[in-house]
Amino acid sequence: MPTRHTPSHRLLLRLLVAAQVLYVLGVAGAGYATTAYGQHIALATTPVDLHGLQYESFVRLHYIAAEAPLTAWRGASPPQRRQAVYVLLATGPDSLATVAGVYDRELKPAARQAVLRGWVTDVYPRTLGLRYNLERYYVPGDSPLRLGKTSPAVRVQVSIAPWGQARIESVRLLRR
Amino acid sequence: MSRKFLETESPAWVTEGLITEAQRARLLARYPPEAVQAVGLLPLLGSILVGLSALSVVAANWPSLPTTVRLGLLLGSLLAAYAGGEYFLRRGNRRLGHGLVGLGLVMFGVSIILTSQLYQLVGYDVSGLLAWVVVGVLLSYLYNSTPLTLLPIVIGAAVQTYCTQALGLFSYATIGLVALGSGYRWWRRPDTLVASVLAVGLLWQAALWVVLSHSKITWFFIPAMLAYAAGDWHPAGQGTDRPAARALQGPPLVAAYLFALGLALFGETDQYAGLLRPPVLAYLGALAAVFALSVAGKRRQGRLASLPDWLLLLPGFYLPGGLPLAIATLVVLYAHAGSVLARAHRSGDAEQLTLGTVLFVVATMVAYFKLTWAFLDKSLFFLIGGVLLLSLSWYLRRRNASRLAAGAAAVTGAGSPVPAPPAPTSPPAPLA
Repeated sequence: MPTRHTPSHRLLLRLLVAAQVLYVLGVAGAGYATTAYGQHIALATTPVDLHGLQYESFVRLHYIAAEAPLTAWRGASPPQRRQAVYVLLATGPDSLATVAGVYDRELKPAARQAVLRGWVTDVYPRTLGLRYNLERYYVPGDSPLRLGKTSPAVRVQVSIAPWGQARIESVRLLRR
Repeated sequence: MSRKFLETESPAWVTEGLITEAQRARLLARYPPEAVQAVGLLPLLGSILVGLSALSVVAANWPSLPTTVRLGLLLGSLLAAYAGGEYFLRRGNRRLGHGLVGLGLVMFGVSIILTSQLYQLVGYDVSGLLAWVVVGVLLSYLYNSTPLTLLPIVIGAAVQTYCTQALGLFSYATIGLVALGSGYRWWRRPDTLVASVLAVGLLWQAALWVVLSHSKITWFFIPAMLAYAAGDWHPAGQGTDRPAARALQGPPLVAAYLFALGLALFGETDQYAGLLRPPVLAYLGALAAVFALSVAGKRRQGRLASLPDWLLLLPGFYLPGGLPLAIATLVVLYAHAGSVLARAHRSGDAEQLTLGTVLFVVATMVAYFKLTWAFLDKSLFFLIGGVLLLSLSWYLRRRNASRLAAGAAAVTGAGSPVPAPPAPTSPPAPLA
């Protein structure tokens, strides 16, 4: 085990700290790259409850695509809670994505389709509850959501990177 | 020994002629009062308050800060913590230095989490947080510090918890890093606290694996007893006095004991026993392999006396549920308590003696509860139970006291000038 205060110890520590800084920058880079090279889709939500914003810096989004009919399940065995799944989304004429199928394996999307990964939260008699890990939206300081008083439905712009990561790009209020 | 104790007790030593007044004065001079330390705490408290105020300002304005500023703040505090740690270590302030290095490691994890949050980025595997565990394990090798060794174990448990709960998958890399990385660090520099935390951390991850994979909970004891076997192989401190190795074996043994206790209490219902029965050949094969490993380690280190620990792992749950299972488990519990008592008597270890007594009393309580609750009048049940326990505790206490007194007498009788802990004396009396 190296002793302290030797040149090799200091060099090792510097390398380790530099690696940590590079790693954090890498995470930030992945965030940029997901938007730059990713596929862009839009997801609609149910009305968003803004009351939590008084105490927390995020709101919970409930996606329309978080519920899929059980007929959309395309797995060999019945779906189980907490199972990781691949959700095939089809972009409609209004550019909003809807669930076309829920798979238990990776698949290649066709044109005007996208695959978003998620997890099964609940299995109901007729429907499947899904979670995308995109439910928590940290609202930036200049977002229109911070000015709103009522509960608006929003459209969430999501980009999906070719290597599988996904991020919320922006959240826009739906005009009604 | 504290100075206060020395101050109050030493006059009596002088009057009894144990030490002279001059020796008393020299002893007092050797341990000066520690009034200075309290004043030394003030700057630390002050800087903590200043730090908290800065933290609250940043936290309150976090969402409205520009992305680059947020990223800069994270990386800046990470670098500052490491630089400060090295600075204080070079000046010889080890505790503060190691604390700041630990803070740097925590800042690294916080930076990963907050940066992903900054971009609302979702990862689908643990690779983002795995780097945190890797850096933690590497840092623990760079410094000779117990807290810095504990940190990666705790971080590993936290990462595994997040991974299984949020992502629904088990990270074998995380448990491997903790078991091999932190485990080897402990192996080289054994320490009781690190051993206990390491064992608890690994058991926690093993439990998460059992829950996630919907396995029978008895599979938990394969990894748990692997940790136990590692304690058997550890070479430090030959003989019975191996606190660092025993500390690693403590948590697995506690888990096994609680399991056996649960089996004795609830094993009668076949429904519960059914939850425990993994495929016979696979489970028994794996258990036998770990057992062989443990026995080989015990032989090598000359510790075969602790072999009865394995009594708790007897797979009694394969017996048909109902009374046979409950009785068999009770017999095992009694045998185990008896083995602990016998070993304690042989070594004259007061702590082990207490432990053995408690185990014996617990086994008796469970047996009494099992066998009489159903058909005894409840007031009579509690009365007889209470009297049974009282007489049992009186008997065991008397036995232990006489045993320890005999051990001490043997030592002083041999003319030993210093009061040593009671040495191994005569062969143990037959027990239980």
